[in-house]
Amino acid sequence: MANTVKIRSQRRDGYVEVKLLISHPMENGRNRDANGELIPAHFIEQLLVKLNDQLILTVNLAGSISKNPFFTFRLRAGNSGDRLSAEWTDNRQSKDSAEHVLD
Amino acid sequence: MPSTRRLFLKHSGILLAGAWLTGKSASAVAERLAKHFAAEDFGTLYAQFIDQRTVIDSDKLNLILPEIAEDGAVVPVSIASELDGIEKLYLFADKNPTPLLAEFELTPLIATFLTARIKLAESCSVILLAEHNGELLRTSRWVNVMRGGCGTG
Repeated sequence: MANTVKIRSQRRDGYVEVKLLISHPMENGRNRDANGELIPAHFIEQLLVKLNDQLILTVNLAGSISKNPFFTFRLRAGNSGDRLSAEWTDNRQSKDSAEHVLD
Repeated sequence: MPSTRRLFLKHSGILLAGAWLTGKSASAVAERLAKHFAAEDFGTLYAQFIDQRTVIDSDKLNLILPEIAEDGAVVPVSIASELDGIEKLYLFADKNPTPLLAEFELTPLIATFLTARIKLAESCSVILLAEHNGELLRTSRWVNVMRGGCGTG
């Protein structure tokens, strides 16, 4: 499960735009595979975004978010060298996280 | 006996402190309520959410979605607002088997500008609720979905 999270940031006029891409199947338990068997539910339940270890955004989600979730959000302020981290937990209690340093 | 009593008090003190600490760390991260993501009828779920509070239809919330979504499995959505101090955002699709798509809990460090990609089971209304200074603001958009994206269509 290594490297499932990619974080990019771009400094704009007055804010920092952050893009977050996570590799995850996000199966809602209603899809069938080639043999007609139901694919078991497997989706991210919670995503936590922290700036310098301080929680700044919590997203609770379920199988209604598309496969390989992609989020954009904006920080009102961010200094060069600030550490931004994102961590997800899915319904099988798997976790992954990544850290990104702002330019 | 006094020594046992002292020991007991000491240990219960440690236990209490432990419980207090874990309780505190748990509340730092908002709890994800499984019932919010239950596969319920939208009307029932929505009624639970608003809990008899007044909902104000607001033009200060911007919900941007395509009018026609070719593939319901990947529908881009943008949420934006000029309002300061929005604490929570709830995004619903009224025809999805699991109507609540996502809950966003914001802090003052985040501007109210978010994008995501969602699944829509069929043509439906996408509804955005925002908690703002104790008020519930609401806006919605109708989306025509060509191919359902929840394995149902």
